[in-house]
Amino acid sequence: MTVEQNFEALDQFPVGMRVLAVDDDQTCLKILETLLRLCQYHVTTTNQAQKALELLRENKNKFDLVISDVDMPDMDGFKLLELVGLEMDLPVIMLSAHSDPKYVMKGVTHGACDYLLKPVRIEELKNIWQHVVRSRFDKNRGSNNGDKRDGSGNEGVGNSDQNNGRANNRKRKDQYNEEDDEERDDNDDSSAQKKQRVVWTVELHKKFVAAVNQLGYEKAMPKKILDLMNVEKLTRENVASHLQKFRLYLKRISGVANQQAIMANPDLHFLQMSSSHNGLDGFHHRPIPVGSGQFHGGAPAIRSFPPNGILGRLNTPSGIGVINLSSPPAGMFLQNQTDLGKLHHVSSLPLNHNDGGNIPQGLPLNLEFDQLYTNNNNNNIRNMNNNKSITGSSMAFPSFSTQQNSIIGAPNNNLVVLEGHPQSSPPGFLGHQINKRLEHWSNAVSSSTLPPPAQNSNSINHQFDVSPLPHSRPDTLEWNNVSSSYSIPFCDSATTLSPPPALDTTNPRAFCRNTDFDSNTNAQPGGFYDTLQTRQSGNYCPTTDAMLSSSNPKEGFVVGQQKLQSGGFMSAEAGSLDDIVNSTMKQEQSQGDLSGGDLGYGGFSSLRTCI
Amino acid sequence: MQRQVALIKQSLFDQGYLDEQFMELEELQDDANPNFVEEVSALYFKDSARLINNIDQALERGSFDFNRLDSYMHQFKGSSTSIGASKVKAECTTFREYCRAGNAEGCLRTFQQLKKEHSMLRKKLEQYFQLARQAGPKETARRPK
Repeated sequence: MTVEQNFEALDQFPVGMRVLAVDDDQTCLKILETLLRLCQYHVTTTNQAQKALELLRENKNKFDLVISDVDMPDMDGFKLLELVGLEMDLPVIMLSAHSDPKYVMKGVTHGACDYLLKPVRIEELKNIWQHVVRSRFDKNRGSNNGDKRDGSGNEGVGNSDQNNGRANNRKRKDQYNEEDDEERDDNDDSSAQKKQRVVWTVELHKKFVAAVNQLGYEKAMPKKILDLMNVEKLTRENVASHLQKFRLYLKRISGVANQQAIMANPDLHFLQMSSSHNGLDGFHHRPIPVGSGQFHGGAPAIRSFPPNGILGRLNTPSGIGVINLSSPPAGMFLQNQTDLGKLHHVSSLPLNHNDGGNIPQGLPLNLEFDQLYTNNNNNNIRNMNNNKSITGSSMAFPSFSTQQNSIIGAPNNNLVVLEGHPQSSPPGFLGHQINKRLEHWSNAVSSSTLPPPAQNSNSINHQFDVSPLPHSRPDTLEWNNVSSSYSIPFCDSATTLSPPPALDTTNPRAFCRNTDFDSNTNAQPGGFYDTLQTRQSGNYCPTTDAMLSSSNPKEGFVVGQQKLQSGGFMSAEAGSLDDIVNSTMKQEQSQGDLSGGDLGYGGFSSLRTCI
Repeated sequence: MQRQVALIKQSLFDQGYLDEQFMELEELQDDANPNFVEEVSALYFKDSARLINNIDQALERGSFDFNRLDSYMHQFKGSSTSIGASKVKAECTTFREYCRAGNAEGCLRTFQQLKKEHSMLRKKLEQYFQLARQAGPKETARRPK
């Protein structure tokens, strides 16, 4: 862009800034809408938080700013705030009639960039655009600093794709002046050169997680991580901010789940989340005491999986996909946890929680971990949830439990726990996604499926859609870019899995990570679980079950879990997971590698969907 | 006629039925949104009628779930504030205080009062809007300075 363009754009902004307003009170909503229109913003309104989330997930770049009421019947405003921040990384302004400083504090700690009191005055609304600019600016600054450009420390232009024109231009303009922006040429585009936002693809996330694991969660420092990751064009700032998000994610998860347990084993955490201790063998060598309980009930809590450990696992552990499908009907494929060792054995999943299968949680996480990570904890949670649900907790995922993965049949092998990530999205959401995925998966699986069981589990079709970690992180990372396409990278070999139909892209896709299933590509440690992360609500396809069974015992593909369908399981997190899933899904796209066996797919969206 | 309208409006303000917020709303009204205030009022009354109903039922049940009542009232207060219904808002505040104190009797009493204010406001506003419509578009938005 030329400077002129920038100026022009600059002139326009904040006019036309796209705002999403959420308030259950019709009167206030109408007034707010009118006021915003008067400020010449482009306004979309909804009186339901869920609807708002859907709109946002549908297209992250559709909005610049979100204004939300605090008291809403269907979802707490603060929760929405968190989710938006994580998944979409958009600035959110809280609105309330409560002037109590406690609420204001809560808003701030949950990430709100401002807190307005009702009745809202137009003067206050006239300035809200500053938050958009500021957030872009900060992001750029982060990535810019490390950028090669070392010249000016410009704060990075808000490359964000969003609104390229407006804020970006503005920022860019400044930058132009200061730096030599050779890269700046296309400010508008998010071309790689510019300090654009780093897209945390699943693969990248995996690397990140692996690095963190290697260093040790507690000791992971951005610089070291960066070195370990050895990714060109990645700056220390990128890593730092990602790490921060990751930690938040974990914290969030652990908040719900067993914190100690989780923290203790960061890796396990994820796994643990799944509550199934068993499964984890592969993962972390530790049964995840955590989760089990949690999953079931808490589902989302798990989110916080400590990515570290898990990720590491992902690669190695065999198939993770342990889907803890609720009450293990399936006989838990994983039963053998030990077998699974690698996989989290989802098998036991059904067990309520997987005693055996628990892995799902962890497992998928691991694999997904990367992905999940990016996806933000959501995913993790998702996975977790999945696990949970799988195991019986099905709570969230109703479907899960029922579904129980047929997969479980696969014995220890890397059970592919198809955890459907309970994505935050409403159960329905997941369900269908999962279903889709599952179907997809199943198809894939069946067709290619499970490659020779011998593999060690790989055969299981990784197809699991690894739905990106439920909590996928904010868009920026794009973990989940995969949206829908993700699915099945795993199937890399043999499986012809056709990438899972874009399940609702928005949904966190259940990744079908076939990745390791095929045992091939990845070292497959155990059969990888292809976390069927179908996370998405979509039930992924029950077919996964089919897949699972066929899959080698090794793989223990938890696919069965997919049955979860109906997002039931996903629902656990529903809120968060969905987000995660979505995010993970997004990532999926990038997953291509996944098949490589890294389920790491951020979205560990666990197989759940598969169910 | 317009003067009449203005007078009525003035009295509403003077009597404390409406406050500054209402004025702000009026300022939002323009050619693009000619009946904005009326629409918003209609919306408000619809919503608040529903809320009042809910509260009524809750009170009748006699269970006095103060938390629930408090949250209803919070909502009520929020919309009343947005439209500038100051008397109603004041009653809401009082009600909430009674809720917090766990004073059922006080709640009931206040609620009666609140309903009264609410219906009074509604009547007056309806009257006002009707006249304003008759008087013609211009007068409505400006408050006599």
